[in-house]
Amino acid sequence: MADAKSPETALAENTGARKRDLALVSRSTYLREKGLQYLFFVCAFLAVVTVLLIFAFTMMQAAPVFTDIGLANFFSFTWAPTEGRYGIMSLAAGTALVTVGALVIGVPLGVGTAVYLTEIASARVRALISPAVDLLAGIPSIIYGFFGMVIIRPFVADLTGGLGFGALTAWFVLAIMIVPTITTLTIDALNSIPMGIREASFAMGATKWQTIYKVVLPAAKFGIVDAVVLGMGRAIGETMAVLMVVGNAPVIPESISSPVSTLTSQIALDMSYSSGLHRTALFGMGVVLFIVSASLVGFVRLLSKMRKG
Amino acid sequence: MLALTSCSSSTSAESITVAGSTTCLPIAEQAAELFKEETGTGVLVSGLGSSAGIEAVSAGTAEIATSSRGLNAEEQKLGLTTIPVAHDGIAVIVNTANPVQNLSIEQLRGIYSGKIANWSEVGGEDLPIQLVNRDEASGTREAFKSIVMDGEPFDRRAAVLSGTGQVRDVVSRSRGAIGYISMGFVESAYAETEVRALNVNHVEPQEKTIASGGYPISRDLYFFTKGEPTGAAAEYIAYVLSDEMDDQIREAGFIPVSDNAEGEGDGRR
Repeated sequence: MADAKSPETALAENTGARKRDLALVSRSTYLREKGLQYLFFVCAFLAVVTVLLIFAFTMMQAAPVFTDIGLANFFSFTWAPTEGRYGIMSLAAGTALVTVGALVIGVPLGVGTAVYLTEIASARVRALISPAVDLLAGIPSIIYGFFGMVIIRPFVADLTGGLGFGALTAWFVLAIMIVPTITTLTIDALNSIPMGIREASFAMGATKWQTIYKVVLPAAKFGIVDAVVLGMGRAIGETMAVLMVVGNAPVIPESISSPVSTLTSQIALDMSYSSGLHRTALFGMGVVLFIVSASLVGFVRLLSKMRKG
Repeated sequence: MLALTSCSSSTSAESITVAGSTTCLPIAEQAAELFKEETGTGVLVSGLGSSAGIEAVSAGTAEIATSSRGLNAEEQKLGLTTIPVAHDGIAVIVNTANPVQNLSIEQLRGIYSGKIANWSEVGGEDLPIQLVNRDEASGTREAFKSIVMDGEPFDRRAAVLSGTGQVRDVVSRSRGAIGYISMGFVESAYAETEVRALNVNHVEPQEKTIASGGYPISRDLYFFTKGEPTGAAAEYIAYVLSDEMDDQIREAGFIPVSDNAEGEGDGRR
C-alpha cells in the first residue's frame, strides 16, 4: 500500500501544473490526455486491488485453520493429512533448508558476476555475459526443474549414494535460478556508486581488488542486501523446479541428501486431490508464504528508506 | 452425454447408468463408446469412487457399479451380483543391478514402513534401501497400501513421486532403490532404461499368475448389479467381458478376466 500512495501523491502535485499547460491545447487533446491519465491510474490501481483480493481470498479459505484445525496442530511437525495431522513445521523447515543453501551458493555467484561485469570486465566480455544472465531470468522454472531432475539429480545421487532427491539438488537448481535476480540488482547498486569514489581509492594507491572489497562493496551494501532479500523471496516461492527435485517427503530434514518437502511444493502436489480440512491447510500454508514474502518486501522498502534517509 | 441418455430413455432404446471407481473409468468408458456404436444404447459412465457406486446401485439410481475392491461385510447383505471384469497387478521393481530376486509380503511391509533399511537384511548386498513411494492421489498407492501394508503406516521419509513413469525412471537409475508400479509398465517400449520386477512370496508377476490370483499384490476390478443383470445392462456387461474388449482392457493396463480360461497368458506384446 505504501508504494501505491507515492505515485498517487506525485500525480496530484503534477495535475496542478499540467492543467495550466493543457489549457493551451484543444479540447479534444485535453480530453485524450486526461483519459490516458486515468487509464494508467487504473492500471496501477489494479495491481493493488489484485494483491488485496488474493490475500482476502486466501485468508477466507484458510480461516478454518484457526477454528477446525487449531494452531497447535497447524504449527506442529507432522504433516499427515489422511490422519488429520496438518503440521506445517517440517515443510517450513524444508523451505528454510532449501532457501538458505541456495543463498549460500547463489549469493557469491550472483554478487561475483555483478562485480565482474561492472568493475572488471571489458565492454566486449560484458556484451557476452550480460545477455546470458538476462536469459537465465527468462527460462521457465519447469525447465530448471527438468534440468535438475535429469542432469543434477543423478550427479548428486552418485555423489551421496542416495536417490539424489533432496535439499542438495534443490540448492544447485535454485542457486542458478536466483543468480539473475541477485546479479541484476547488484549491478544497479554498483552502478549507482559515483565514479569519483573509485578514483579516490585508486589515487590513494589501492589496487583494483582493494578498491572493490574495501570501497565499492561497502558503499553498495544496502543495494546488495536488497538483491539478496529479493533473491531469497524467489527461492522461497519457487515451486515447480523444487517439486521435481526435493523428493517430497514431509519430514524434518535428516540430511541434505535425503528427500524433504517444502511449503510450495507440498501445495502444488496436494492441491489436485485435496478436500475439506486438507485443502484448508494448504490455503493456510499459502497465507504463511504470503506473510513471509510481504515481510521480505517490507524489509527491502525499509532498507531503501534507510539508504535515502 | 446426459442429454443423449435422457432423450433415448424416453424413446424405445434403453440407456444404462454406470457409476463407481475411477480406476475402472478407462474400461467402462471405452466399452460404453463401442457399445453405443454397436447397439445404439447410451451408457452414462461416471467416476465417483467405488463406495459411491455401490451405494448408487443399491439405491437404484445406477444399474451397474464399478469397483476396484470387493464388497465389505455390510455391502454383502445388499443382494448384489459380483462380476469380475479385469485383474490389475502391481509389480515391485528394483534396479537391474540389485541381486535380490524375491521378497515376502512381510519383508515388503517392513521395507515400506521403514523397519528394514538395508538390502542385506533381505538377502541382498550391504546397501541402504532407497524408498520410492507414490503420492496420495495415486490409486496404485491406495491398492499397495491395503494389500501390503496391513494397517502399518508408510515410512514418511520415502521420496514421493507423482507418476508411474517417474518411479520407473528413478528406480532404473538408482542401485538401492525400490518402487512399485502397475504391471503393464515394467516393460516399456518407450523407456531407455530397464527395471526388474521382484517375485513376491516366490511368485513371479505375470499375466498368468495375476489372473490365477497366485501373485499376491493384485486386485480385481468388479462390476456389481442389483440382483442378476437384465436387459441392456446384461448386454453391456457381456460386451465388456467379450473378446473385443480384451485388447482395450490390456491397453488400459489391466488384464482381462477371460485370461483365466486360456492356458497361456501370452497376450502381452
